[in-house]
Amino acid sequence: MSSLLLSLALALYLLTTATFMAQVMTGHDALRRVAHALLAAGFAMHAASLGVQVFLKGYEVLATFQDELSFIACIMVGLYLVLAWRANMSVVGALVTPLAFLFSLSAHAFDKAGPELPHALQNVWLPAHVAPAVLGYAVFAIAFCLSLIYLLQERQLKAKRKGDLFRRLPSLETLDDLNYRFVTWGFALFTIGLITGSLLAKQTWGELWSWEPVQVLSLITWLLYAALLHARTVGWRGRKAATFTIVGFVVVIVTFLSVNLIFPGKHGGTFG
Amino acid sequence: MQREILIVGVNHRSAPVEVREHVAINNGALEGSLQRLLAVPSIEEGVILSTCNRVEVIAASTDGDHAVEALTDFLAVDEHLPRERLAEHLSVYRGREAVRHLFRVAASLDSMVVGEPQILGQLKDFYNRAATVGTAGTVLHRCFHKSFSVAKRVRTETGVASKAVSVSSAAVELACKIFDRLEDKTAMLIGAGTMSELAARHLLAHGVHGMLVTNRTFDRAVELARDFHGTPVPFEEFPNYLHMADMVIGSTAADEFILTPAIVHEVLRQRKYRPVFLIDMSVPRNFDPRINDIDNVYLYDIDDLGGVASENLDERTREAEKAEAIVEEEIDTFWRWLASLEAVPTIVALRDKIEAIRKAELEKTLAAFAEITPAQRQALDAMTSAIVNKILHAPITHLKQQDRQEEALYLAAARKLFDIEQPEDN
Repeated sequence: MSSLLLSLALALYLLTTATFMAQVMTGHDALRRVAHALLAAGFAMHAASLGVQVFLKGYEVLATFQDELSFIACIMVGLYLVLAWRANMSVVGALVTPLAFLFSLSAHAFDKAGPELPHALQNVWLPAHVAPAVLGYAVFAIAFCLSLIYLLQERQLKAKRKGDLFRRLPSLETLDDLNYRFVTWGFALFTIGLITGSLLAKQTWGELWSWEPVQVLSLITWLLYAALLHARTVGWRGRKAATFTIVGFVVVIVTFLSVNLIFPGKHGGTFG
Repeated sequence: MQREILIVGVNHRSAPVEVREHVAINNGALEGSLQRLLAVPSIEEGVILSTCNRVEVIAASTDGDHAVEALTDFLAVDEHLPRERLAEHLSVYRGREAVRHLFRVAASLDSMVVGEPQILGQLKDFYNRAATVGTAGTVLHRCFHKSFSVAKRVRTETGVASKAVSVSSAAVELACKIFDRLEDKTAMLIGAGTMSELAARHLLAHGVHGMLVTNRTFDRAVELARDFHGTPVPFEEFPNYLHMADMVIGSTAADEFILTPAIVHEVLRQRKYRPVFLIDMSVPRNFDPRINDIDNVYLYDIDDLGGVASENLDERTREAEKAEAIVEEEIDTFWRWLASLEAVPTIVALRDKIEAIRKAELEKTLAAFAEITPAQRQALDAMTSAIVNKILHAPITHLKQQDRQEEALYLAAARKLFDIEQPEDN
């Protein structure tokens, strides 16, 4: 059931991506409405599929990194829909949707029974740790997309290229402001995830901090985003901030993948 | 010999701003330049047009080939621009082509932003100044007046002007790609000029909140500031106010850069690196082009803005074609006038020649009579004159009335039949 819903969502995401691409290339407003309708439908399917998962497995839904990826993708799409409701952001949609598609696809492809969730982890701190972390990742992903668009628009303006694409990109100030807000929210959520994660570790293994690879990488990510937010107060805005956001997100991806695939350790293999 | 109309110069299509700024003639130096132009041997009449987008000399000359060379030398006075480099970018129009070019310029068909209304006013201004100095003569007077009426026809009979998208709207569009909203933004206008004032007006119309105005003449700044509901700033102190401006429009007659990367770096630091949009409307340029390399600064000069505006060109193409047809029609009318001017010297030469023959033959005949009364003498004179006039009447009437192509044929025939020299221009 859940797998069928996810497949439908995937198909809709793919269709939306194509529609967004066509919209960005031709500039037809009608295409944007079609894309948003398709995306909203895809989001509904995706959310339903996750709902079924939660209903069936409870906490264990958060136990595999595939499901987490799927959650992240779904939240990204939801965030984009909120954003698009406020401003004309088709170009951002053309980037978010394929990314969400890729994340969900890997979730779908790896769809297999994960290892049993250790009994020790089955306590309230698990969702308190995973929920903000997953939300934070999704928010960082949107900030990443906004930054890529920023760099694209900035290059168009500097090079004085004034094609049709240029007209359809949001203003630099809009992109930079949104980027700032998303990074701030992402950072706050990530910080909560880090704290609750430590508390969960204390509950499970008896110590707050054990220099696990995931902890080290998460700390690096946290420091990077902290540095970015600090740098903004002294004028690191625009292109520098966008580049920094992209680097930050690459580190997030590396953290996420390495924790789950390369250094399972105590932490990985079960959840991210 | 007949005067030929020719136009030699650089414009936004033939030369980049880097070249145009070296050829540009300073507003205050125009009268001197006109005097200098008239002193050029092969030039009989001349008008100088020097705007942001073009520096062109419209001249009438009886020796076109030499005139083109002389005008190239005339324009190549800036030691920073070698004559060879100028020659690469020079556009030369002669005869009918020159008339077409002038008409198209006047009708704003050759503008960077087709249909923009400023050019006609500028053209009239430059023509009037040439007329005051006395460098415009019969041919150019007629040609310019004709160009004004062409412009008027194009404006009233086609949609070219009404759909005009000026460089200013291009500036506004760019501002909207940099800034989220203009309502909380401040602009600064450095110097004054038609284009820059128009750009400032457009920005204000699109919601720009504050306007700082500075000018070398403080009174002018005060006057403009009142007009824009802005704040005047003394010219010497404008760098201290730059950090307040999100958009800066430069349009001064300065020969050197008034904004350098160093100044902009400092301004950005004060602004905490909030983005700045710099619009350089002047030729020669006021803002160092290297400023564009600085992060969060977007520098556009008048050429760059033109690139933005030209995208709206397609929809105006049909109207432009209508306008081109008007121009062609008017060239024909003007050309007929110019041609009739060419017939006159031929007719004069013809009359002179026949008159000379009559006089010579009359004297010879009179010398043969020993005694002749003044009355008889007068009668003979009147008779021969009447014969000459009667014979010449029909050919001269024809020469005056022919249209251009046939007339050239008749003129050539007349010259050959009566064995007269090329008509001399007086």
